[in-house]
Amino acid sequence: MSEAPVLHVERVEREYPGTPPIRALAGVDLAIEAGEMLAVVGPSGSGKSTLLNIMGTLDRPTAGRVMIEGVDTSTLSDRRLSGLRSARLGFVFQSFHLMEAVSALDNVATGLLYRGTSGRSRRAKATEALEKVGLGDRLSARPTKLSGGQRQRVAIARAIVAEPALVLADEPTGNLDTATGDGILELLHDLNRQGATIVVITHDSALASRMPRTVEIRDGLIQSDQLQVAVTA
Amino acid sequence: MTTSWKSKLRLRDLIGTSLISLRSRRGRTALTALGIAIGIASMVAVVGISASSRAALLTELDAFGTNLLQVQASSVGMTQEPLPIDAQPMLNRLADVSSASAVTTTGFEVHRTTHDASVVGITAVAVDPDLFETMKMSLVAGRWFDDGTRSLPVAVLGDVAAERIGITDLRGGPTVTIAGRQFVVVGLLDELPLHPDLARNVMIGDEAAVALLATKPNPSAIYLRVDLEGIDRTRPLLAATANPDLPTRVEVSRPSDLIEARAQVDQSLQRLLLALGGVALLVGGVGIANVMVISVLERRGEIGLRRALGATRGHIRSQFVLEAGVLSGLGGLLGVALGALITAIYARRQEWVVELPPLALIGGVAAALAIGMIAGLYPAAKAARLDPALAVSGGTG
Ligand SMILES: Nc1ncnc2c1ncn2[C@@H]1O[C@H](COP(=O)(O)OP(=O)(O)OP(=O)(O)O)[C@@H](O)[C@H]1O
Ligand SMILES: [Mg+2]
Repeated sequence: MSEAPVLHVERVEREYPGTPPIRALAGVDLAIEAGEMLAVVGPSGSGKSTLLNIMGTLDRPTAGRVMIEGVDTSTLSDRRLSGLRSARLGFVFQSFHLMEAVSALDNVATGLLYRGTSGRSRRAKATEALEKVGLGDRLSARPTKLSGGQRQRVAIARAIVAEPALVLADEPTGNLDTATGDGILELLHDLNRQGATIVVITHDSALASRMPRTVEIRDGLIQSDQLQVAVTA
Repeated sequence: MTTSWKSKLRLRDLIGTSLISLRSRRGRTALTALGIAIGIASMVAVVGISASSRAALLTELDAFGTNLLQVQASSVGMTQEPLPIDAQPMLNRLADVSSASAVTTTGFEVHRTTHDASVVGITAVAVDPDLFETMKMSLVAGRWFDDGTRSLPVAVLGDVAAERIGITDLRGGPTVTIAGRQFVVVGLLDELPLHPDLARNVMIGDEAAVALLATKPNPSAIYLRVDLEGIDRTRPLLAATANPDLPTRVEVSRPSDLIEARAQVDQSLQRLLLALGGVALLVGGVGIANVMVISVLERRGEIGLRRALGATRGHIRSQFVLEAGVLSGLGGLLGVALGALITAIYARRQEWVVELPPLALIGGVAAALAIGMIAGLYPAAKAARLDPALAVSGGTG
């Protein structure tokens, strides 16, 4: 592919201040092409969330750079960086981060709020996204009325509603039981088959083994980066 | 490509976003807004009540006229040196004087009957029939003196005098006794708010006083109506015109100054009350800042999420400033309504026309909005500075 990778992390380091300073990332190189789906695995404290936050421009590296679609993100202003997140990135968190005061539909529509899209078109796209994740019949439900798996589906719908170049999910199944978690993973696979580029952080190696590509991280360094020979969906 | 990487938040969506979080915390919103409402209500009430009071004074002033001057013999020790007999015609000759009416004390107390000595403090004064016009008096019953009755034993009572003596109407032809002589009461005067002295008097005709009570015809006071434009020019001439020999024994005053002085007193009280309302408002503002700081701490997860969804620091800041503004704007609306209600109730009780300056109403809401937004600046800056990575991992939300 002649085009730049969707995401290119180059020699990224992240040190948290402290005595001694905590070296959460110690020089990570990673390139993700459009249409890929990969798992980032590793033990607790290995730097997975730190890496995801840096990939998602929520955090800045202390050294190295993060290129998104060929653009060095360190050169961008807060406004452009925020714009980049709103247009090109989608996030899914372990704790869902849904707004309880508003409906599933309005939660998903928030994914387009900072694009300047009109309310009508936000709701139309949010409806589509909720249908995609199998919640077309729960549009007006408040998150408190939904199960854990359904809440995560709402969060995923919100992450994809703006059709981002890259979806970043940090332990999306961490708060769910195995069966429900499998359903969420199945959904992410479906979305990937429809063209979405997805990074999933997990410390569940069984889950990781079903991914086309697995990046293992330990003590802030990439330990292995493997492509699966056969992918069973 | 990067040109499309720009966050945009529509104004109506910004407002909607701010409203959502206020709606989802109704109890807190109401209580916080109440703090501001109390401050605004007290300020609006102060402005409204003093405006109504001022309007009432001005109505009084209008009815009364500001072109009345009073020329009086000043007292030396216990005795009053009366004005010369020709003081009134002399004053009347001045170019800007349109009417001059004399009042002469008789020195006699007034009693209800010949044998009764119980009514005290009510004295009889002799008046010129013009006085009615000059003072813009009005009657509640009967009639005033005319050229035919000014020499007869008839009397007209000031409202305070009538009350003290116990005459409320003219049925049965009530009489009063002055120096052992009966005078038939032919008229009862309406209130004379600016002339409590006159209201306490029983008035008899000037010619009757001289003929029946042997009163010396030297006036003790002369009331003048002067052309308004000529008033400053005329006033310094009055003392010397009234009493060319002893101008220093003459006091000149302008009764409407009293009303204006009252309005002045009101104003300084108003300033004090406004300051108190301002303090209440400030306390309300601090309350808002306080609640917003707590809100920012509680909503770290939401703030992190919004940053992840593409909100700029500016968007977060605007959201919180607007939330604080709406919060206190609501308080302002409530406060203005409350203040208007207080004004209306108070003014009704005082029998004033309710006067609510629109500027106070608009200003009340605007002040509340401004206070809220200022109070929101610090918490909003805190929210905007939150590290998004930390905020999303906070685990809340
Ligand atoms: N804000 C922070 N300040 C200081 N140290 C931090 C901060 N965030 C993470 N760390 C440290 O950086 C290291 C990597 O943390 P990180 O959260 O990236 O690990 P992780 O792989 O996501 O772990 P887990 O699987 O438990 O979520 C850890 O040692 C952690 O204590
Ligand atoms: Mg983690």
